[in-house]
Amino acid sequence: MGWNLLGDDMSKVKERSKMKKTKIKIDYTKCGDKGGIDPRECTLCLKVCDPCVFLMHNVLGVEEKDPRDPQVWRITPVWPSVCMRCMNCVEACPEKAITVRW
Amino acid sequence: MCQWCFKHGAGKKWYLNAKNYYADQISTEEEMKDYLEEQWKSMENLFIRKIKGFSSIGLGYKMQMPIIGKLIRATAEGMIHSEKHNRNPARGDGHFGQAIPLEDAQLIMSELAAEPIIENYCLCRYMQRGTKECCCINFGLLSEIIEKIPRYIPKDRVVRIDRETAMERLEEHNKKGYIASVWFQPVPYINAICSCESPECGGLRLRTDFDLNAFYKAEYIIQLDQDKCIGCKQCVSMCQFSAIRYVPSQNRVIIDYDKCFGCGVCRHACKQEALKLIPREQYPGWDGTY
Repeated sequence: MGWNLLGDDMSKVKERSKMKKTKIKIDYTKCGDKGGIDPRECTLCLKVCDPCVFLMHNVLGVEEKDPRDPQVWRITPVWPSVCMRCMNCVEACPEKAITVRW
Repeated sequence: MCQWCFKHGAGKKWYLNAKNYYADQISTEEEMKDYLEEQWKSMENLFIRKIKGFSSIGLGYKMQMPIIGKLIRATAEGMIHSEKHNRNPARGDGHFGQAIPLEDAQLIMSELAAEPIIENYCLCRYMQRGTKECCCINFGLLSEIIEKIPRYIPKDRVVRIDRETAMERLEEHNKKGYIASVWFQPVPYINAICSCESPECGGLRLRTDFDLNAFYKAEYIIQLDQDKCIGCKQCVSMCQFSAIRYVPSQNRVIIDYDKCFGCGVCRHACKQEALKLIPREQYPGWDGTY
């Protein structure tokens, strides 16, 4: 209440706005460039997530040999507001890098 | 007809105006090439870039904020529909699309699309689902740019295709349940017909979850012949927008016209010919709702 007063009234979010915000975090020391894992070869969290919360992208600000073929990739939970809190990603991650809190 | 038809359609629907298919008719070829090259070499980054200093991560929550939310929304819409010369290709300024029925997609493919035509991996499905599916048809200048980007190019099949093959492929995708859609990038240059799926598609995500007009409803809307419907529920499984629902008491389906994008994919499942597309402006009440 109040949070939505002057903001948007997107019907889908309206109901959810009564709920607490979902916070999804990925530990990049376990997954991605620093953990020595190429997300492009795993993609398990992307596959199990029904509403497609995760985004796989090349990391910004990294010097690439060929800008058309970037090699450093990372997964970001980019749409936490559509998360269904099913915890499929937490279970699916082989590195236990994902935490979902609210 | 939608606002973009009035602006860029020359009296027709915007995607039927032949002028929009040739980069040199709109601005210089070099300018378009630079834009597309910059946009496509790291297009997966599009959703993590900043809007007015705010990171787009968690856009849904940010747009719920009082006042600031409204500002972010207005800025994002302005970016999506930007026709300015200094628009930022990396953020995909001026890149949006519209759903079209299979017939219109095939008309574009047979008469309007500029050569060369290629079929490449869907970018949205790759970045949001991690799968590579060959179903995006690009043409004109954009094909030459995508051909140089290894991750979008299938190695085991022919990339450049002719008009007939492109039409066949579109029909194949449409019958599978994908929505045909035509894209401006950047407005008013048209160079792609995609076969989209919700929720993977970036444009559909912004429209269905955040109500940003990155994807417009088609110029058509579905009409159900209630007498012909036998309640087989086949069409329900085809709809990407959950606009069709089965009601047991009437033994037929009902349609939510608010959710219907007019893509016409449900028609492929109906053996009774109970579903047909009619122009949106002929449907009282839903005229002008794109």
